[in-house]
Amino acid sequence: MAPATTQQLLLSPAELSYIHSSLSLQPPIRPDSRTPTQFRPLVAESDILPNANGSARICFADGTEAITGVKVQMEKSAWKPSAEHGVHLGPGGGGEDGDEEEEDEDSGGKRKGDRQGVGDNSWVEVNVDIPGYRDDDTMPVFLAAMLTEALLATGTLKNRLWITERYHWKLYVDILLLSQPLSYPLPLLSLTTHLALLSTRLPALISGPSDDPLFNDDWNASYPLYPRSPQTTSTSPSDHPPITLLVMSVNSNIIFDPSREELAVAESVLAISVACTPSPNDTTTTTTSSSHPANDTQSKDSNIRLLAIRTVDPPSRFTPPGVPDAMNAATGGSAPVGSREAAAVREGMEQDGVWRPPRGGVGRVVLGRMIKAVVEKGGVAEEVFEALEGVHTGT
Amino acid sequence: MTSLKRSYDPGNAPNLSSKVYVRTTRAGKVQKIVRELYLRRDIPCSSRLCSACLDVAPTDYRNKVAPFVLSATPAATKSFPNGHYLVPDTNAFINGMDLFELQTGFHDVIVLQTVLEEVKNRSLPLYHRLTSLTRNESKRFYVFFNEFRQETYAARDRDETINDRNDRAVRMAVKWYGEHLQQAVKARKSSRCPSIVMISDDKENLRKARKENIAATSLFKYIEGLDEADKLLDMISVGQEQRDNRLDKAALIYPEYFSLSKLLTGIKSEVLHQGTFTVSPYNYLEGSVHVPAFNRALLVLGRENSNRAVSGDVVVVEVLPKDQWKAPSSKLVDEETVNKNENPEVEEAETIVSELERKALQEEVKKTHGTNAEGHAQPTARVVGVIKRNWRHYVGHIDKDSVRDPANQTRTQQTVFLIPMDKRIPKIRIRTRQAGQLLGQRILVTIDSWDRDSRYPVGHFVRSLGELETKGAETEALLLEYDVQYRPFPKTVLDCLPPEGHDWRVPADTNDLGWESRRDLRDLLVCSIDPPGCVDIDDALHARKMPNGNFEVGVHIADVSHFVRSNNAMDDEASMRGTTVYLVDKRIDMLPTLLGTDLCSLKPYVERYAFSVLWEITADAVVVKSDFVKSVIRSREAFSYEQAQIRIDNKSQKDDLTQGMRTLMMLSKKLRQNRMDAGALNLASPEVRVQTESETSDPMDVQTKQMLDTNSLVEEFMLLANISVARKIYDAFPQTALLRRHGAPPRTNFEELQNQLMVKKDMELRTESSKAVAESLDTCIDPSNPFFNTLVRIMATRCMMSAEYFCSGTQAEPEFRHYGLASEIYTHFTSPIRRYADLEAHRQLAAAIGYEQLDASLQSRHKLEGVCKNLNVRHRNAQMAGRASVEYYVGQALKGKVLDEEGFVMKVFSNGFVVFVPRFGIEGLIRLRDLGTPEPAGAFDAENYRLTITGSRNVTIDLFEKVTIRISDEREESTGKRKIKLRLV
Repeated sequence: MAPATTQQLLLSPAELSYIHSSLSLQPPIRPDSRTPTQFRPLVAESDILPNANGSARICFADGTEAITGVKVQMEKSAWKPSAEHGVHLGPGGGGEDGDEEEEDEDSGGKRKGDRQGVGDNSWVEVNVDIPGYRDDDTMPVFLAAMLTEALLATGTLKNRLWITERYHWKLYVDILLLSQPLSYPLPLLSLTTHLALLSTRLPALISGPSDDPLFNDDWNASYPLYPRSPQTTSTSPSDHPPITLLVMSVNSNIIFDPSREELAVAESVLAISVACTPSPNDTTTTTTSSSHPANDTQSKDSNIRLLAIRTVDPPSRFTPPGVPDAMNAATGGSAPVGSREAAAVREGMEQDGVWRPPRGGVGRVVLGRMIKAVVEKGGVAEEVFEALEGVHTGT
Repeated sequence: MTSLKRSYDPGNAPNLSSKVYVRTTRAGKVQKIVRELYLRRDIPCSSRLCSACLDVAPTDYRNKVAPFVLSATPAATKSFPNGHYLVPDTNAFINGMDLFELQTGFHDVIVLQTVLEEVKNRSLPLYHRLTSLTRNESKRFYVFFNEFRQETYAARDRDETINDRNDRAVRMAVKWYGEHLQQAVKARKSSRCPSIVMISDDKENLRKARKENIAATSLFKYIEGLDEADKLLDMISVGQEQRDNRLDKAALIYPEYFSLSKLLTGIKSEVLHQGTFTVSPYNYLEGSVHVPAFNRALLVLGRENSNRAVSGDVVVVEVLPKDQWKAPSSKLVDEETVNKNENPEVEEAETIVSELERKALQEEVKKTHGTNAEGHAQPTARVVGVIKRNWRHYVGHIDKDSVRDPANQTRTQQTVFLIPMDKRIPKIRIRTRQAGQLLGQRILVTIDSWDRDSRYPVGHFVRSLGELETKGAETEALLLEYDVQYRPFPKTVLDCLPPEGHDWRVPADTNDLGWESRRDLRDLLVCSIDPPGCVDIDDALHARKMPNGNFEVGVHIADVSHFVRSNNAMDDEASMRGTTVYLVDKRIDMLPTLLGTDLCSLKPYVERYAFSVLWEITADAVVVKSDFVKSVIRSREAFSYEQAQIRIDNKSQKDDLTQGMRTLMMLSKKLRQNRMDAGALNLASPEVRVQTESETSDPMDVQTKQMLDTNSLVEEFMLLANISVARKIYDAFPQTALLRRHGAPPRTNFEELQNQLMVKKDMELRTESSKAVAESLDTCIDPSNPFFNTLVRIMATRCMMSAEYFCSGTQAEPEFRHYGLASEIYTHFTSPIRRYADLEAHRQLAAAIGYEQLDASLQSRHKLEGVCKNLNVRHRNAQMAGRASVEYYVGQALKGKVLDEEGFVMKVFSNGFVVFVPRFGIEGLIRLRDLGTPEPAGAFDAENYRLTITGSRNVTIDLFEKVTIRISDEREESTGKRKIKLRLV
């Protein structure tokens, strides 16, 4: 489980109880009066660093702000044993052996032109820098790992980094959080990375497939890492870099883009990574309708594919519990002798208005609903992808 | 989800822009580079018509504006009666650089920065020519930095190609100039406003220019409107357009080159090899490429394999499979005779290998398969790419047979062949309107291109040097062929000379600055010994007995570095020229005459500055002590070798000077013996002297050079001085001393000669060290043939490497060795008047003895390496030019004569042999077909180097054999060129 931010919000048990109960209402009432699926407004710009291959900056309304820069560097590929080696030679045979990736990989492997072949996980490196943290602290490491996991899960990204049999691009994603991590910064970092990757361009190869690579020195000739629809052929429709969303639950309510106060009372927090796969050409294909929502990677007509789910240690666990009247000597109650006894007593009570830190854990049904809310057609993920696409293309 | 978008826009500030491009570093890193560009408004138009720019133009540290270049009254033409400034596009420079270099026209040209950069990217040599043009004040070329001027900066549009953007930038600049000048003219209240004319060969650019109302024309059209259009039109390169047109019709007869990346990958992984392509002087179809991976040169046989490489190009080759390896040719193949009757106009029927050529090659293959191919087979290769073209100007003459109608003086354009003077260069196809006039002239051409569909390279006419066979034309041709800079010294160089001119004297007052740290050696009995008629006296000598029984010997060298200071114009010029070039009737000086023959020259009876090397030498010629000092000397006499010899031999002369010379003679003989004992080689090269009539310098007679004892006297002490100085400067500057080395030749070089001697004469040539070579050469004596030993020495010399200058930091110390002199270390110090290397050595020695500070350029290893490289090339060229000049004069001396001379067979081919005639130092080919008609049959025994000729003539030719040769000269029908003809008697 990913750790929570260590920064504690100083709210009294009464305040926590108030927020918790208003979020538990049907529909929930959020402190900033958003709907459960509504995101906070944000300021975004992409391609802001002239020297980077791709870059973006996002500023959330609460003042948290991040910059991502993407740089590529050409590297010599490690020699691979011939079994996999053969794949590289074929005219689009990427993923045919399919022992390490699912069949979706074909969409990356069978790309026309110069980008074919199977990428390697080590070709993507994500580095997260958060003020006040050392780079080997758990927080940045976990964040980087979660973002890397999402980037690699699609398989398409790393395959695009393939240049020739002997060379590949190494992708360095440097994420810099400019502000203090007020709320859990994962969604901010993920969205910034998404935008940066959308604006990332790679130098165009002009040498032959078996030569040492030589590139066109005209930057305008470079091609996007994630090609947008007008330029792409029918076989490779536009796709998006993955995003990771933070979803929390309070009772049975599911709340997106939780603010710092909301996180303080969350019963469970999930980081859900999704990708947008190419939309199927004919809408009649209803592929799988598995009963298990977590495995339903391609639910109905949605293009959203679930890549990873990580639970996040909710910060609410560390909040101070409220003291019920029954346990408060001042109000005529009898205070328990030790903290152990106090916990035991509190466990038995179910009293409105008294804050009780959640114990963690999330029910299967709630979990299923959370995932569904993200991936379903017209769901939150789709909306986010569209909005970010809008930022990139400037509409 | 809502978002506010703000996009990054660099264009907010009008004077700020940026350039984005991809750079691949040498280490293989690929980087996106962003360069910020600050646009300004003060870059002047540099027209003398404009006063507005004069006020805003940036000033230098003296607060002066750089003088404006473009004339206020530029030349007018029919179409531009008000005068015009030219703004050539990149392709105009590429196609017509020779035109822009004309002194007679093409003034007032605006060279846009955009164009300059494009030229630089396309061709570095052209770029250098263009920049040197812009420095030429009389041509009035102005480089306008349009990319930095705000009004003329063209920001690249989305989806616009770089080329389109650059074209647009050119048009913008032309337009701005037009408007700007209009205003300037208005301000002057004058009516005559020069037009700004864009010259471009790009149709699209011209079309757009017309649309934008800009005066624009193609280079061709522009020249058509000038006087002498015919001559000028010949000087345009064959444009891409014309070539494109042909591309459709003609079949591609040469294989395509590999892509650059493929070549580089191949070279890195050692699948392909890079080297300089050289063509055999005996067989134009056989080239060789020396690559580091093989210890023998790779052979490139036939046109298809040499794939459009011209001798001198740096090429990439692929080694062919072993079953295609061949022995080097044993046959003489001459392009002129094989492809005599080709028609340059007809192109459809072209195949890569003509039938006759194929036949010549075929026989070759048969031969090598017949004999033991294994022992002789050499790896063969084919050219797959060219890294660097080393095309230059070529001198040649027009093939008479290729001219359609020589008598016809009509000015129609036709294609003719130019036969280059250098036999290794293929025929060049040129288009000309003046074929009739150019016949029988030496002309200068350049190669423009060699496309896959053309059997021969395509070039264009540059200028005519004059009638064939005339001394002026032939000498100039020689100098051009060997890239000798022969133009008079420019004014900037002459400005560096001492203002007193010939009246310069060594200051009488010894407190003068010139005397500082100089030793007064005026009382020494110094004399110089040189060839007769020598005016640039570099060196003088003296010797005297010391009280302790040893001898004090001094070598005094002209102190040129006193007059030629580092890094001024004269130094640059000298470093570029590298050496003085001696032709038979002409000397092309490295330094202006005033210095070379007067102020520096150690003339007798006058005081001169010198750089002296003083030794204490025992009677056994062992150096006890050496001393280096700047000095002032007064030479007592300037002898010729002969005079000196007579004086020494004359017993009645007992004066101190003669005694000194006798001492020198005695010591030199001992020194020489020491050197020979150490294994120095006594090599020979055919040296002849042409005696010319003093007035007309027409050659009268040819003599081989005579060696006197006084020759070796001077030589020994010069060697000693050079070696001493080399040690001294190497001690002082271990990293940057300028030294000279002579590499030990690889053993394979001698293999052929060893084998020849073994087979023919049963003699052994040992090659394990220079001493072994020297000793075994001494044993190669044929009692019946006194010249035989010299012949072997000449042939052995050709097996050696050539000596070279180098910077001591670039080689390991054991590599410093001079093989021929058997010296551990060597440099050139004794001829600073005629060699730049010596001048550099002087400066280094002066710094080593603390006389002066060492110039920074002599401390930078990198710079010195560049200097050495140039010196090596210049040195070799000077030698070859000298030899070619002698050859030409020998030819002239033999004009109209028929002589029977004795000759020796140097090389045997399957269809001819090479004869060396010692009397004239000439080598000539005798082919089978020259021996009689019908051509006699020849049976070539490659193992015994024997050619048995049967048929109309029955003789057997053996290597090293003495033959009698009839020498005559003959005018060749097709070329009108005179050639020496050898016949077997």
